[in-house]
Amino acid sequence: MLKTKKIKQNAPVVPVLIWIGFLVGVPLIYVLALSFLSRDHLGNVVLEFTLDNYKRVVDPVYLKVFYSSFLLAALTGLITLLIGYPVAYFTANLESKKRSLAIILIILPFWISSLLRTYGWIILLGNTGLINNMLLKLNIIQQPLNMMYHFGTVLVGTTYMLIPFMIIAVFNSVGKLDRSLLEASYDLGASKWKTFFNITLPLTVPGIAGGFTLVFIPSLGMYFISDLLGGGMTIFLGNVINTQATRGRNKPLAAAFSVGMIVLVLIVLFIYSRVIRDKKEGLFL
Amino acid sequence: MNTKPKRFRIFYLSLFFVILYIPVLSVILYSFNQSPSTAQWTGFTMDWYKDLFQDRVIVEAFKISILVAVSTSILSAILGTAAAIGTLNVTKRMEKTINGVMILPLLVPEVALGVSLLLFFTALKLPFGYLTLVLSHSLFCVPYVYIMVQLRLKEIDKSIIEAAKDLGAAKWQIIKTIILPLIMPSILTASLLAVAISLDDVVISTYMAGPTSTTLPVHVFSMMRVGVTPKINALCTLILVGTFVIVGFSQFISKKSNQKESI
Repeated sequence: MLKTKKIKQNAPVVPVLIWIGFLVGVPLIYVLALSFLSRDHLGNVVLEFTLDNYKRVVDPVYLKVFYSSFLLAALTGLITLLIGYPVAYFTANLESKKRSLAIILIILPFWISSLLRTYGWIILLGNTGLINNMLLKLNIIQQPLNMMYHFGTVLVGTTYMLIPFMIIAVFNSVGKLDRSLLEASYDLGASKWKTFFNITLPLTVPGIAGGFTLVFIPSLGMYFISDLLGGGMTIFLGNVINTQATRGRNKPLAAAFSVGMIVLVLIVLFIYSRVIRDKKEGLFL
Repeated sequence: MNTKPKRFRIFYLSLFFVILYIPVLSVILYSFNQSPSTAQWTGFTMDWYKDLFQDRVIVEAFKISILVAVSTSILSAILGTAAAIGTLNVTKRMEKTINGVMILPLLVPEVALGVSLLLFFTALKLPFGYLTLVLSHSLFCVPYVYIMVQLRLKEIDKSIIEAAKDLGAAKWQIIKTIILPLIMPSILTASLLAVAISLDDVVISTYMAGPTSTTLPVHVFSMMRVGVTPKINALCTLILVGTFVIVGFSQFISKKSNQKESI
């Protein structure tokens, strides 16, 4: 009796859960299965177990791709933290009217097309771009600087795209700080910096970890940024998956790389859950 | 003594916001440049905008994008709201599990999700185009609707629902006459956001689009790969204005409903 009532109560959720499970769970399991299958000489998938795809994934050439992608995502996380933490901290300490304005300015880019925001950097950094024009006109340089198509250019793009996530995550954490702890620290004679490093920073670790996770995961997959700003000079996981799944017509290999990318995400999520364990707040779960 | 750090704070924040908006503003500015190159400013023109409306591919892609965005938004609103109402009475643990599943589409990197859907739909022999676009877009729009509606549901005064129950109202009556009207503004806001999110998606749409049905962002991306032209600037500027109108409208709705409540 009680049980049937409970099932009835949960009823409206079930179709939605099934629906998400069907569209996320099943394709991912399918991809996992596909990553162990081989291809015939025409490129069609055949039902034959193989580990070849994973052998290719751990090939030094492709391991370098993993390394570049990991480096890009980790550096994006680090730089957004270094630039974004002060922004979040200062914003949280603004008076309420200015704070609302700052929050709007931080959130607004979410509603600006990510393609436009990437394209903006082409306009700025290109050989005939605005920065080069200005430097040439001011006679600071004689030849246009070659700022496009480097690893650094892609890093600028991912950092720019994802920094609002970091700021919002840290901002929420700073907002939850117990002010009385800070006052107690000042009363006991601790300096501003000491208070910051001993109290504020440790207490905002959940925000930092959350922000890092929110930045790290998407930067693995935004291949349009590395396409437009990197010009294929550095190859990232997203580009490999994209090429193999579409033009390369090697679906099992694309599947194996997708599995690799998801494993990377799972590792980051695991670390995140470890960091925020024992702390009451969390972004998800 | 306090003014020096304060000045530094304001300076840091201002510098940050200037850098945050310079790329966007340069795109808008150069959509009005006569010269096709960003090398120099040769004068103000609206020609690039006129060009857009004569480009049949762009107009066609725009129509598909709107159609997909509206369908996605309706589907996500229904599914997200149903899930949020469904979690109203479940146990805390169950709610955590459901939240975990709901957030799943946002945790998988977009390329991985896009490729897995591409392979999966190919295996199912689904025709790529409108159907696959709506299915995949609603996948990452439902979580937003769910979260926003759930937040609103938690604000509802439980005693109203208790009172209705005591007076003998059936469950669906409670949902229809009490809960739905109270959460309607949130559903509307969330649907508008779903429209904006769907209109902006590039990565997943690349895999889901059919041979005859490209969405606008996918087309814009392929234009950008070829090179810089002020036509792209003009198109991006129009998309920006369109999105801001939608977001502004949704803010307007949520503000108005808040005012009503305080009266």
